[in-house]
Amino acid sequence: MISGSVAVTLDTLCEIELPTGEAVPVVRRRFGGGEGPRVVFVAGLGGDTPEGTRLLHVVGKFLASCAEELRGTVELYPCLNPLAAHLGVRAWPGLDVDLSRRFPGREDSHAPDRVAAAFVAAVEGAAQVVELRGAHPAFRLAPQARVRAERPLARERAELLNVRCVRLESGVLPGSLESCVPDLVVLQGGAGNRLTEGVSLELGDGLLNLLSHLGVLPEARLPFHWAAIQRPIVAGDDAFEDVRTDRGGLFLPAVGGWGEVQAGDLLGEVIEPISGEVREELRAPRDGRVLALREEPVVYPGNLAARLVCA
Amino acid sequence: MSVVFRLESPYRGEYQLHRLTFGAGDPVVSVVAGIHGNEVNGVYALNLVAGVLRMQPPRGTVHLLPCVNVFGAEAAQKRWPFDDRDLNEAFPGDPEGSPVQRVAAAVVEATAGAVGIDVQTGSATVHEVPHARMPEAGLAHDLGRAAGLPVTWARPAERLADGLVGAWHRRGQPALALRGGRGGALDLEEARVLARALVRVLGEVGVLTRTEPAAPGVVTTEVHDHRTTVGGFFVPELRPGDRVRAGQLLGTVRAPLGGTGLEEIVSGAAGVVLAVRVYPVVHARELVVRVATQP
Repeated sequence: MISGSVAVTLDTLCEIELPTGEAVPVVRRRFGGGEGPRVVFVAGLGGDTPEGTRLLHVVGKFLASCAEELRGTVELYPCLNPLAAHLGVRAWPGLDVDLSRRFPGREDSHAPDRVAAAFVAAVEGAAQVVELRGAHPAFRLAPQARVRAERPLARERAELLNVRCVRLESGVLPGSLESCVPDLVVLQGGAGNRLTEGVSLELGDGLLNLLSHLGVLPEARLPFHWAAIQRPIVAGDDAFEDVRTDRGGLFLPAVGGWGEVQAGDLLGEVIEPISGEVREELRAPRDGRVLALREEPVVYPGNLAARLVCA
Repeated sequence: MSVVFRLESPYRGEYQLHRLTFGAGDPVVSVVAGIHGNEVNGVYALNLVAGVLRMQPPRGTVHLLPCVNVFGAEAAQKRWPFDDRDLNEAFPGDPEGSPVQRVAAAVVEATAGAVGIDVQTGSATVHEVPHARMPEAGLAHDLGRAAGLPVTWARPAERLADGLVGAWHRRGQPALALRGGRGGALDLEEARVLARALVRVLGEVGVLTRTEPAAPGVVTTEVHDHRTTVGGFFVPELRPGDRVRAGQLLGTVRAPLGGTGLEEIVSGAAGVVLAVRVYPVVHARELVVRVATQP
């Protein structure tokens, strides 16, 4: 119990047993209860995505203030991969396993497989699951959602999440969470392994709006008017342009995140790191907006420098 | 030796994918090692094979790519070090994709031919006996058996669908993996065993005429994984390649702080030890011993 209200609980999804005999719990916070829908928000599948964990703290703090008014259950998993988060790395330490590729997991295998299996079992029957995936450490991302293109329910709900863009993805990676939870909505935004001013507030409002839409959170309790929620660009894979380097060097961006660009506009330069000579200019192939921008400057030929949404 | 692919590098000299080619004409056999930068047994084994091919020119063509992930090898890392990608997960690759996808595509293109062989080791925490992994039927199966390694493990096609071997299979090129040792360590004897196995495979294809006979090994489709139920400090009682009987003690899990016995790991079947955990600190349900069953 983490507050005086019976409508808020803290429990353990499973424990990760350490060689020393200690155990690290994978925790779940529950808010509300009763007959209404059950909604799951999960963060920290990679240990280098603290933004999602902070976002769930923001949402949890708000839900704790109104838990007895909830008409349903909200489950928050602030960090599914605590050992990696302990080190600030993506993969499960020691095993070098990416938890995001281990679903549906196995109960008779090592710890990441068991965490994956326990999570898949725990979210069965949930009305909606949302994963806060954060960003790759090399990039800064505008707040965005990704869903499977053939899942209209997921698309409808992603549009409620106060994001700039919803990507309808045609492929599903084997072992990913979305391969087991077809209506999963993945939220991304901010910079990898860092906290980004404003992203938690923007996506946090989106999560509360979703809870209101699902009838779990009374609309009157929303800390903003629903009309303030952004209407995202919704587009399939064809609308996204990956701009990659053809030369190695240092990438110097010439645009800002979510900036509007016209075809031919300069997105950035690759310079020779010692002399500063410009090796390559990267230009926008189409009109669009900058959805992702590389912040880690060292690049090899083929590295992603920017991703545009061109719908 | 030729450079079949180059990738500009910001500070260091460019990445170069080197290929050593011996002989000419058909059949074309390609042997690859060092996709993981720390798997050095394969690098040494291919260099031993290069010595054989210099002495005994092949009837056909043999391509050797001894160290694909040079940057990883320099950094003693399994992955491509700059962006921490597993090169083996980048196959079949993309010539216009990310750096590892470009390298992967270049490897696939440079190894087209009648047969592909990927030489690998276990992870840095697991020691494996030299063995072949190949499909349950077909030319690659026959070549795996001809390698004459202590263990020959025939696997369903879906278990060979990943990595370079999977990419070769998907384009219809018979392919197999030879594995032995562990990441981050050179075992001279195991590298020699792998090199002799490669020479036998080249003999089976008809590229080489002089090969050494092999001692009989275990040919199996069944492998038993033994996992801990608790975390602790695993102390093995045997080595890779040892023969075991059902019920034999394979190792014990002890408390890392104080040494109290926590669990005995007992063999579930008779066979040959395929792999042993050598880094002793283990979590619950981690694989510690793998036994290939004696048919």
